[in-house]
Amino acid sequence: MTPRAESALLEVDHLVKHFPLRRGLFSRVHAWVRAVDDVSFDLHAGETLGLVGESGSGKTTLGRSVLLLEEPTSGKLCFDGVDLISLRPSALRRTRRRMQFIFQDPYGSLNPRMRVESIVGEGMRIHSLARGAELRRRVAEILDQVGLPPSAMSRYPHEFSGGQRQRIGIARALSVDPSLIVCDEPVSALDVSVQAQVLNLLMEIRARRRLSYLFISHDLSVVRHISHRVAVMYLGQIVESGGVDELFSQPRHPYTQALLSAVPTRDPERKRLRILLPGEPPSPTDPPKGCRFHPRCPVAEKLCAVEEPPWKQRSATHSYRCIH
Amino acid sequence: MTDVVLKVKDLAVSFMSELGLVRAVDGVDFELRRGETLALVGESGCGKSVTAHSILRLVEHAGGRIERGSVWFNGADLLKMPAEALRRVRGNRIAMIFQEPMTALNPVFTVGEQVAEVIREHLGRKRKEARAQAIDLFARVGIPDPSQRVDHYPHQLSGGMKQRVMIAMALACSPLVLIADEPTTALDVTVQAQILDLIASLQREQGMAVLLITHDLGVVAEVGDRVSVMYCGRMVEHGTAHEVFSEPLHPYTHGLISSIPSLTAPRGQLRAIPGGVPDPLDFPSGCRFHPRCFLKTRLETAAESGGSRICSEVSPSLREWRPSHPAACHFAEHMPPAAKEPAP
Repeated sequence: MTPRAESALLEVDHLVKHFPLRRGLFSRVHAWVRAVDDVSFDLHAGETLGLVGESGSGKTTLGRSVLLLEEPTSGKLCFDGVDLISLRPSALRRTRRRMQFIFQDPYGSLNPRMRVESIVGEGMRIHSLARGAELRRRVAEILDQVGLPPSAMSRYPHEFSGGQRQRIGIARALSVDPSLIVCDEPVSALDVSVQAQVLNLLMEIRARRRLSYLFISHDLSVVRHISHRVAVMYLGQIVESGGVDELFSQPRHPYTQALLSAVPTRDPERKRLRILLPGEPPSPTDPPKGCRFHPRCPVAEKLCAVEEPPWKQRSATHSYRCIH
Repeated sequence: MTDVVLKVKDLAVSFMSELGLVRAVDGVDFELRRGETLALVGESGCGKSVTAHSILRLVEHAGGRIERGSVWFNGADLLKMPAEALRRVRGNRIAMIFQEPMTALNPVFTVGEQVAEVIREHLGRKRKEARAQAIDLFARVGIPDPSQRVDHYPHQLSGGMKQRVMIAMALACSPLVLIADEPTTALDVTVQAQILDLIASLQREQGMAVLLITHDLGVVAEVGDRVSVMYCGRMVEHGTAHEVFSEPLHPYTHGLISSIPSLTAPRGQLRAIPGGVPDPLDFPSGCRFHPRCFLKTRLETAAESGGSRICSEVSPSLREWRPSHPAACHFAEHMPPAAKEPAP
């Protein structure tokens, strides 16, 4: 993606995250998982960037790296003009208040031994935003914003359903008044009817607080619904990004085209045009040379196996990485 | 009707839990016809998987108790059949594939041995012959290098490949019925498309009927000929996929369809169903959907219902509001005309 003129809330520049694979008596590193491999994008205030890709594409690692929950191997991360990687720990902690995370698993991401009041209030306490009666009042207020009654405060996570737990997770993220929330598959563990409630809630909150979301999901309809812009990942790299409507109506990268066409449909015309990809994504330990998609690509040529494809602009906001 | 291959009548299954008796399935009826795909849909806890697992009485191995009902297949009631006779039906005339191909395969045997075992057991083939047949089946379900893959262990295969192995195993005896319990839920969308495509083409070749259990309305829309919708252990609506999606008669079905974001329709607020799925230990009285029902609320505000109290008092039974399109709602005639087509 090309940098844009006005300054972004979040700028991710050539971000790389490799994990070592160790083996043997001395835990020698014998290979690297190239989970995120040279990714750049920016995110503006109030904007939602949807990050789609299949399992193993690196989207979750990217989301975690952005908040420095994983230490990047290399690359640059700027939040509101501040270089995060060079920040001292105390300064980083202050900046982190403005960057929050919502997890996929509403069961595993809440401490079962803490009451909702402590779960939601912990952030405010740590960042000294409120205490005592004021803290309680603000917890109740946030719970109300996510549609939970004040009585929820004295209860434990196991007393809530999946959808309600996800609301608690959202309340926790909102409690410290963030500017950016990384949402990692926030609705994929929920039932369809409850998923819609949580999506509506996320959109309502975004409008009210001018929040930015980095919204990670494998579900293309969900991403289309909530995002302003979308980036498609394949094997650790972004292969296409653009405004949600242009990307969904005019996908340019063969992988994006195949991904969109694979979504189940009743429409016989869409079924007829389906691009069935052969095989499955290769391992990120040893990604294919040249274009990483070339072994599965329906339009691959000899050159694709050799050369890394360049970024091409389809419009000012829509670019893709393919020689075609 | 002669083309009915499987008929489930008044099935009820319960589980004893620490907290009490859970009536997971409470009086379910449906028919599966030759060559068709019937999709059984609903959210978690609605009893769709328990229903599927009751057909071959697998539910009894998981602590479930079949309280009443019958499952007619080939003129016999599977629920009353002696264990020995049932074993000849299982995996032979009725085969099943599961959501988690990893846990459904035995990790200490090669995948080829596991498929060959089915062939030896049900078709009485010799070891060598069975292996050759397994290789053939692997090729048919699109596993590359089948003669090498048969000697691999499950952990050496990806999720999509393991599901292909499960399908190969299920097809070994050319079953009349394939029960597919969330067969693509654990798979990525591009791999899901491959597997759905494979099941559909094998179904065409063999004329087998497929009972597809899923929570994914997109998948239902794609492959379902007919749809049965379950909620809280009961059937709430049956119909052709077209009817159910374009003119749902039950408010729950309507709500499910409007809850899903679309790949093509304009974006806006989703019409979510309020509340959550009820606790199976404490289902609401009357119609189990009534506390979440928009139609009930609408009728109450319009005050024309003559008492939507009936919703919380009397459990509605399936009634044919339209020909071959029954729904279990007291007020199905008040349903708004058409919901949008589901995503996409």
